[in-house]
Amino acid sequence: MAYVAIKGGGQAIEGSKAVLEYLRTRQGECAQPLQADTIQNQLRLLHGRVLSEGGVYHPRLASLAIKQAQGDSLEAAFILRAYRSTVPRLAETDLLDTRNMRITRRISSAFKDIPGGQMLGATTDYHLRLMRMELLNESPERFRAVSGEWFKDLNVDEIPDTFPKVLQQLRRDGLLAPLDEQRAQQTPFDITREPMIFPVPRSAALATLARGEQGSLLAIAYSNMRGYGDVHPTVAELRVGYLPVFLPHPITGKPMEIGEVELTECEVVAMYEADEEGGKPLFTLGYGACFGHNEVKAISMAILDRSLQNGVQHGPGNPSEDPEFVLLHVDGIESMGFCTHYKMPHYVTFQSDMDRLRATQAKQSQEQGE
Amino acid sequence: MSNLSREEWVSALSAVPEQSLARLTERFPRSWKVTPKALPQSGLGMLKLRETTLGDAFYLGEFPLATCWLRVTTERGEQAEGCALVMDDRVERAEHMALCDAVLAARLPGWEEVAALIEEGIELRARQSRERKAILARTRVDFSLLDDVGDEDA
Repeated sequence: MAYVAIKGGGQAIEGSKAVLEYLRTRQGECAQPLQADTIQNQLRLLHGRVLSEGGVYHPRLASLAIKQAQGDSLEAAFILRAYRSTVPRLAETDLLDTRNMRITRRISSAFKDIPGGQMLGATTDYHLRLMRMELLNESPERFRAVSGEWFKDLNVDEIPDTFPKVLQQLRRDGLLAPLDEQRAQQTPFDITREPMIFPVPRSAALATLARGEQGSLLAIAYSNMRGYGDVHPTVAELRVGYLPVFLPHPITGKPMEIGEVELTECEVVAMYEADEEGGKPLFTLGYGACFGHNEVKAISMAILDRSLQNGVQHGPGNPSEDPEFVLLHVDGIESMGFCTHYKMPHYVTFQSDMDRLRATQAKQSQEQGE
Repeated sequence: MSNLSREEWVSALSAVPEQSLARLTERFPRSWKVTPKALPQSGLGMLKLRETTLGDAFYLGEFPLATCWLRVTTERGEQAEGCALVMDDRVERAEHMALCDAVLAARLPGWEEVAALIEEGIELRARQSRERKAILARTRVDFSLLDDVGDEDA
């Protein structure tokens, strides 16, 4: 069996590109092209999703990718991921610590009183999901007035720059294992440069989940929530904010802030258990983090982190505890690529399928005739 | 100028409008000789994070990175080195910042304008910080209000 080159599709393909561009622009004479800043601000959650699944915190190009992909988040993440493969890597940060995050939202479902307090920030959690019909005909004047009046009469002097972690108190109370300083010194697995051959270290799992596709993470985490697993998480802390990124100043050698990334981080406390040496029972933990504001993804990741740790420790008892199953199926670019490849010509393989079916039918007819 | 360390200059300059920075560097004398100390580059940096449950290090993802390290020699023979690493993919932006870094570090002619631009950046960053804190201040949960009616579901 051999594949054959297809001729004659070139014009159709060019035409298809033109149609795509036509549909993007056909709104009419009064239409305005989408600006990158508009996408970043008014579609900020979609934008964050593409940043995270693309694996590169490049807000301007993420906006461009969304525009170019006409809002398809998988396609946009693919474009961003393709971009990253064309540029060299120049540096790697030292270990960054999310305790330094400049918070915009911070909640806990474990305690109501957490050090620094709970701040809801921007959330749709308490919305009734009723249509805001007034947005259909929003005037530019009213639109601009909202942010213009926002700072009025707000005293922010008592708000600190950073907030402590909720887990710190549980650790002090002896309910969690102490942080192992040695673990942070291990070189993390780089999924962008090394193929995953199982078993893989936890750093490979976290990196894979961090740029995994939101829906995939949610689906597998949901299977665990509903009963195919027993993580039973409590969100110790969910925080959204901006993490300053540091690299050494080439002349002074001291850390310099080169920019910041928006990220969402979730720490879940799960079922307690004793260690294998029969030590004191302690709560187990799961961790999730991703670029942009994406809480469903961060929570799902934290649940999957915990379920994968379960699987590694005790052997997988369900799909969400199986590292190979989870980590090889959550990447949006890979899964979308496999899915969409079925649209490509399979003329020869299908011809072969038909030949075999006809042969089988003929053989059956012959046997029945005998 | 505010008591800002050299390592904080790029952060402040990143906050000012790009045109302001470009216009400032265009005003530096053309007679200055600017030579690269290292090849200006544009690419990616990898963000290494310490997760906070068990303390493992892992790679969260990448970010754009432009770098520039240059030496400035004035017509009077004064020399200064400047450099910049910035989360951006445009080398010229890193070059502008590296020039400002050199000028301010060595107090070359025009350093006061660089200092003033950094002051502007500091103010813009402070404004951004106030905006974020306003988000928190406006949405702080006051659980004490729930005590009167019982807080079992709080």
